Amino acid sequence: MSPEEPQEAAVVPPPPDGVADLFAEVLPDTEFQATQGAMEVILTVDRGDLLRVMRAARDDPRLDFKYLRCLSGVDYVEQGLEVVYHLYSYTHKHSATIKVRVSQDDARLPSVTSIWKGADWHEREAAEMFGLFFEGHPNLVPLLLPEDMTDHHPLRKDSPLAEIEEWQGERAGLGPGEAAEVEE
Amino acid sequence: MTLERELETLEIDVNVGPQHPATHGVFRMVLAVDGEKVVDLIPHVGYMHRGAEKLSENMDYRQAIGYQDRTEYLAQFNAEHCYVMAVEKLAGLEVPERAEYIRVILAELNRIASHYMFVGAFATDLGVFGTAFTYGFREREYIQDLFEEVTGDRLMYSYFRPGGVCWDVPENFKERVRWLCRQNRVGISDIDGLLTKNEVFVARTRGIGAISAEKAIEYGLSGPVLRACGMKTDLRREEPYSIYDRFDFDIPTGNRGDTFDRYLVRMEEMRQAVRIVEQAVEQMPDDGPILPEKLPRRLRCPAGEVYMRAENPRGEYGIYLVSKGGDKPYRLKIRSPSYCNLMALKEMAVGHYVADAVAILGSIDIVLCEVDR
Repeated sequence: MSPEEPQEAAVVPPPPDGVADLFAEVLPDTEFQATQGAMEVILTVDRGDLLRVMRAARDDPRLDFKYLRCLSGVDYVEQGLEVVYHLYSYTHKHSATIKVRVSQDDARLPSVTSIWKGADWHEREAAEMFGLFFEGHPNLVPLLLPEDMTDHHPLRKDSPLAEIEEWQGERAGLGPGEAAEVEE
Repeated sequence: MTLERELETLEIDVNVGPQHPATHGVFRMVLAVDGEKVVDLIPHVGYMHRGAEKLSENMDYRQAIGYQDRTEYLAQFNAEHCYVMAVEKLAGLEVPERAEYIRVILAELNRIASHYMFVGAFATDLGVFGTAFTYGFREREYIQDLFEEVTGDRLMYSYFRPGGVCWDVPENFKERVRWLCRQNRVGISDIDGLLTKNEVFVARTRGIGAISAEKAIEYGLSGPVLRACGMKTDLRREEPYSIYDRFDFDIPTGNRGDTFDRYLVRMEEMRQAVRIVEQAVEQMPDDGPILPEKLPRRLRCPAGEVYMRAENPRGEYGIYLVSKGGDKPYRLKIRSPSYCNLMALKEMAVGHYVADAVAILGSIDIVLCEVDR
């Protein structure tokens, strides 16, 4: 296999008695796919279970994830879009990563703004950048992008940096003096 | 009183920014005011959006360092530090001892420089203290001089590399840093004497923009804004990264969560940063490698992902880095602290006067390039 070919991350089982087991204990009838990431446990949940899992994560005293650190979208092209939640507990000093996968054609998932107010702008950003739709978000309008830029979603892998690549190609063969002329 | 009741009052929308000295950059907020009181606030961000995340996905791991400087242009070393640590975590690189000390010294000095900028700009927001601005900038300039000597640049350093730093520091580095520590102690007490017990300053900041610790956590606030609410939390202590577990320092907290407490917390953080630098410069080895011996020419990270976080002057700076093998990040998300802190602006400002809204915005200490990325 050539090194340029995309690889998949190795699946490492989570350590016993960790956060993954706590989640299984709190939510016995929910399915998790748990792996150990570079720094914390990664749990993949179903879209339908998301709100229930998140509510339990915040409210259950064993988990007590009161702090949503970060919410990001990732485009995995054929494997769909992923929304990643990074959680932290100030009381237990443990952290966890929750993931949800949706497909590009049906990129709807429940909003967690009712659980953490801090999810508001993160979700708006993920929505405009990836074309996700967060159901139940109070104000899902573009945040960083112009209001009229609804035709494409810049962080998806199918919107390349076409113009910049072209511009670099044009200047690639030029010497330093000639490049300065193009700039003017 | 009867007359007042008969008068009809109207809510007026006041637009502040995007080009306005009080907004610290290109930021717009629409204030709905009833007389002088703010009843609603709508922030508008995105004017500085340059797609740093998308651009980083299209260049290799080392090239993307430059975008960290351009994102967080007041605490560049801290931002670079978080990014290179994320890459090191994925690539499994060991950082030599000496490079760790150089990084920590520069990052902590950068924290002091950033807080000087905050104090200067914050006092100017309050309207009367041009002196604080010049004091802050004078002290910051000494630190900038060292950074310029080390990196060759005043603003966009690009000095940290995955695995270490790109070249060694100048020979007189330790003496320069020791001198800076002494100078900073004087500089901090100068500003302290100018502002902390100033009656006008206290009157303008005490009790303004207070937020409770529960609310602050719910909004995802971090850094000095959160510590001002009484939360004793600091990533350098809670999840020690780099070599921060070797230093002795205190975590200052406030108890009212208002703008004055945020100012006090930052002032104390500067003193603690000086303490860290003083310890680091004593422990730092005099010579040794600054990059790992076996560093590949093209840096490739094995597939995987990491969310690296670091305590930046403004709060928790996070880098969510996904790799699918290869020499480019597959996805790079920057969790910028002032972006998250700015979300709570409405919560803090509603019910206060328009002039206080400007003070509250200043107390969050936003960097708009980092908000919009």
